Parts: sequence; C-alpha cells; structure tokens
Amino acid sequence: MATLVGLVVAATAPAGEGPAEVTGESLLEGALDLTRGMSSYTELTMTIHRPTWEREMAISAWTRGREDALIRFTAPPKSAGVATLKRGDRMWTYAPRIGREFSLPSSMMSQQWEGSDFSYNDLSRTDKYLRHYDVNIAHTEERDGHTIYTLELIPHDDAPVVWGKETLVLRDDYVILAQTFYDQGLEPLKRMQTLEIGELGGRTIPVAMRMSPVDEDDRWTEIRYLRADFDADVEDGMFTTFALRGGR
Amino acid sequence: MTRETGPPGGDPENSRSEFSNAPARGRNRIPVRLLLQFSWRNLWRHRRRNGILLSAIAVAVAGVLLLNTLLRGMQYDMMNTAIDNLTGHVKVLAPGYLDDPGIERGFDTPPDWQQVLDPDAVEGWAARIRVPAVIMSERETRGIQLVGIDPEQESISFLHTAAIEGERLTGRGDRRLVIGQRLADDLATLPGRRLVLVTQGADGRTREAGFRIAGIYRAEMSLVESAFVFTGRDALQDLLGTGDVTEISVRLADAPREAETMAALATAFEDLDVLSWRQLEPQAATMVAFADTSIYIYFLIVMGALVFGLVNTLVTAVMERIRELGMLRALGMRPRSVVAQVVTESSLIMATGVAIGIAVAGGVFSLVADGIDLTAFDDSLASFGMRPIFVPVVEATDVVLVAVMSLALGLVASFYPARRAVKIKPLEALQRR
Repeated sequence: MATLVGLVVAATAPAGEGPAEVTGESLLEGALDLTRGMSSYTELTMTIHRPTWEREMAISAWTRGREDALIRFTAPPKSAGVATLKRGDRMWTYAPRIGREFSLPSSMMSQQWEGSDFSYNDLSRTDKYLRHYDVNIAHTEERDGHTIYTLELIPHDDAPVVWGKETLVLRDDYVILAQTFYDQGLEPLKRMQTLEIGELGGRTIPVAMRMSPVDEDDRWTEIRYLRADFDADVEDGMFTTFALRGGR
Repeated sequence: MTRETGPPGGDPENSRSEFSNAPARGRNRIPVRLLLQFSWRNLWRHRRRNGILLSAIAVAVAGVLLLNTLLRGMQYDMMNTAIDNLTGHVKVLAPGYLDDPGIERGFDTPPDWQQVLDPDAVEGWAARIRVPAVIMSERETRGIQLVGIDPEQESISFLHTAAIEGERLTGRGDRRLVIGQRLADDLATLPGRRLVLVTQGADGRTREAGFRIAGIYRAEMSLVESAFVFTGRDALQDLLGTGDVTEISVRLADAPREAETMAALATAFEDLDVLSWRQLEPQAATMVAFADTSIYIYFLIVMGALVFGLVNTLVTAVMERIRELGMLRALGMRPRSVVAQVVTESSLIMATGVAIGIAVAGGVFSLVADGIDLTAFDDSLASFGMRPIFVPVVEATDVVLVAVMSLALGLVASFYPARRAVKIKPLEALQRR
C-alpha cells in the first residue's frame, strides 16, 4: 500500500465515509475494498534524488480495480515508453530500446523499480496486507479535526514478507500520512512520508510523497500527482501486453 | 689406463681369475657377477661425475613422485568434493532435469525401491527435492538451490559433518531453513529470522512463503555456502504442492561396484536417468582424468631431460675407455658382453638414483602428509571444486610405475653409448695413446 499503485488505488476511496467500527482491519480494508471495481487515470512526476545526481520523470498510470495497473513513463526521452503492467500477481515490463516486453521473474520483484527507492514488490503488493499481516491500532490521536491512526502491521510467521514490522499512519479519511518498514531486529529501514495533501480529481489525497532509506538522508524518491481522474473510463484493452508496448 | 678403484669389499684378484676362467665356461658369455663387478667399478672410477648424475636422477624422481602425490591429492579432493556436495556416486534423475531443473521434473518413488540396492555396496542414499529458488531478506535477494531433505538420510553428504550455528533440522517435516554462512552474510541475517522464498510450484505457479532460519552451516567452500539452502522435505513438498522428489542420490561403500549399482537402479527406475558422478560433475571428472594424464606428462618431461644427461655420461665413459674396451675385445670379449656392460652401468646408476629419489620423496612427504594450507587462495581454488587444505596422497602403483618407467628409460638411454662401444675396433683402439 505504500506503493505507487497502492497509493493511486487507495486514493480513490471516497472521502469522509468512515467505517462503523474502527479496527485496524477495517481501516485497511476500508481503504482497499471501497476502491473495488474503480478505475483511475493519473499523471505524476517521480523525482529520484541521489547524492550526486537527481532526475525527474513523468509518468502516466491507469488502474482498474485493485489488481490491474499500467504505468508508463512519458519523459524524459530516455525513459519515455518504458512501461510496467501489473495484472493480478503477474508483472511485465517493456523496454522500448530493445523493443521487447518481458515477464518479471520473481527474483526481480524486490529489485528497485526503474532506479527508484520503490521495489517492484512495492508496486504489486496491494491486497496482500489483509492475508499476511496481523493489523492492530497502536495509537490514536486527534489532529486538525481528523483522527490519526497508527497501525502496526506484523507479518504472520510464514508470510512472504521480509519486514519484521510495518507501521502505517492513516487519517480517518484514508489518507496515508506515513509508512515505515522495519527489519526483523525492529530497526526502521525505509520510510515513506506524505509531504502534501491536496484536492485532486474531486478527492482529498496525498499529492506528494517521499520514500527514503532511514539511514541515508541524501537519497530519496519523490512522487507528485499532477492530475487525477477517478472513476475514469479506462478500456480493458489498457491492461494487455499490447497496450504495454504502446499500442492502443 | 685408468686407475682401478674397487668398491668397498671389492676384490681385484678374484675378478681377474674369474675373467681368465671365462672362456672355459662358454665362449659367448661372461658371468653375470663379473659383469656387475666391472660395471660397479667403472662407476666408482668417476665418483664426482656419477655422483652428480645420481643426484640429478634422485632429485628428478623425488620431484616427480611428490608432484604425483599432490596431483593425486587434488584428484581425490575434487572427486570427494563433487561427491560430498549432494552428488553422491550415483544419482537418479528425471530426464531433462539437468537442463531445466524444477519440481515439474520430479518423480514418485516406488515403494521398496531400495531393495534393488546391495547393502554391502551402498553406504547410504537420500531422496531429495532440489529446485531453484530466490531467497530474500530485508536487505538483499539471492538466487539459490532450495533442497528439501530428510536429515536422517543426509549422512552421505557434507551437511552431516558441517559445523552449524543454531540448530539442525529435526526431521523431514521441519519447516525451517538451514543456510550457509556466506549466504547469511550476504543477506545480513541471523538464526531465528524469517527469509522469504520464491519458487515455482508443481502447478507452474509462483509460490512464496516466509521461512524461519534454524541454523547456519559452514562448508569448506564458500561457493557451497552461498548455493544450498536446506529445509525439511515434507515441508517443501507442502509448499510446492507435490509428493514427488527430484533426485535420489546414492553413495557407494565400494566405488568399483558403481556399474552394478547403476544397473540395479535402472531396473527400479525404468523411465528415469541413472547417472554417475562423472556425468553429473563433468568439470570435476575432466579434472580428475586430466590429473591422470598430467602425471605421465610431467614424468616424461622431467625424466626425458635427464635421459640426455645419462646418455652424455655413458658416452663419455665409453670414450674414455676406448683402449680398455679395445683390449678386452682383442682378448676375446664378445660385443654382446660390451653392450651388457654399458647397459648394466646405466641400469645401476638409474636404480640407485631411483632408490635415493624414493627415499627423499618419502622424507619430504612425511613432512607435508597432514596437508598444505592454501586458505589464502580459497576463492580461486573453489572455482576448481577444490578445498583450501591440500592433502597429498600416495598411491603404491604410482611409485612402482615411476620406478619401472625410470629403469626402462635407463635401458633406452644406454642404447646409443652401447652402440658406440660395440663399434670400437680393437686394432685402432690399441694404437691410440
């Protein structure tokens, strides 16, 4: 969920429709389940910052339901056309320079996505939280007229999750404020923070987020939404390897 | 004429009388004892020259023998490493598994299949699942071989004796991992932590699950430590959704009965491949075969060079004794006896040299018999499938072979000097000053 797709998807949750009984599961479920069957189109920029360089990329993303997404880079020219397709559990990526798409082997799922601080896993893990984690509310506070929940997500013993723990800071309107990933010694390893919350596409969503390793200040990836169209009419043909190649 | 210097205990009087008696015993022969005596004395006439030649032969023989033990040690080591590393002497695999390993190339073990094995010929066997998998920690991802084992059967592989930090697997249902030290370092993980394994199930779909680490093993080669991850066989079958195994590995008690065991296994597993370690570890097998050949190559190079020294010494000895040999011929010594004398001399030098060489080699060998520590070169050796401790191995047949081949070379080397000696014409020789 601290993921690009996850964020795009979670952000489509209608604001203000609070669940009847607030539990960790209901918050998480609410954020995920209310988006079922929804489609979206978003445009965003991704900035990768490193101690010696920084680069900005423009991205268009289409989603359908919770499972399917197509993400395509549109700028700079070097990256334009690079695309990632997610359908259910499977992912493909397309590299225009070699003119081929390939199915992402499971070995690559934890690799960095296009050089950013997001992994492919971050992109694809949207709906697995409910199955593989024990979720409980560790902390609740009131701030600026919102209830802020801090969820603690502990993976089950046999869960396919490397983290020892994750924490998720969530507003009562499902706007995610922060997420932290801990190793199994419970030391924080990487952290995602919402930098800016705004109105976009008729909803209140986090419009700027930054993912960074905890021990390195000068290394982060920032995502900023420029345009969002929720309940967009996205054709099914969008989520095919044909579309991945850039065909319409 | 050269001064005659008898060996200790030599008796010039005796030899002369025997020689004068010779024609009476048979015109074509001189007695063997006399022949030996002649040759022996000739050798002692030039102590320094023959001493140097003798040392050269001894050093060469010792060198060849020691090199030999090292090569044999290397050979055994590569063979044992190959066999210890989950190969065994003989393995049963599904056809195509080697080219494309995976659970879809698993097989069912028929009940009581092990009855085809002769208990005397087999030390043990293990049925395993071995599939490629990806392993992930919080920090790193690695490709590995995931091996599902029954710990009780693994007395035939290195895992049985490997040092383990943490715990061993308790049984084939143990749903925990035992990983190598090198992999644990790479993944920055510890016993008790969870790792995520991703592999392909029997239905072709991706399976992923978290597994706790029971223990971390140490192997002699870091290559092994980073390659193999073990878990209980039943637990892995659960994850993959199958009851199959992918291999049965058999370790023989009696290596020469390999063919017999393979034939027996082939009857129990008709549709499967029964392969020997040579087919499974072609690189190690090639290296082992190469060691055999290189022993001969080294021998021929070193001893071949020495032969020229031997020829040179013998020819010199013959040229120095032209007058003497001419005289003997004039007195009635047959050419055959002249040849016999040169050959005997050559053989004596060679035999003595070989004896000293073997003694020297034995002495040096006893110093390094415990093994030579090459830990500093660990990684490069590991890529050849060798352990960092290098233990030389003596094979009696090799020693015998070197001795016999050396003596044979001594005979070959005496051919030319003997021919020169035979060509001496008594009249010309006697006229020389």
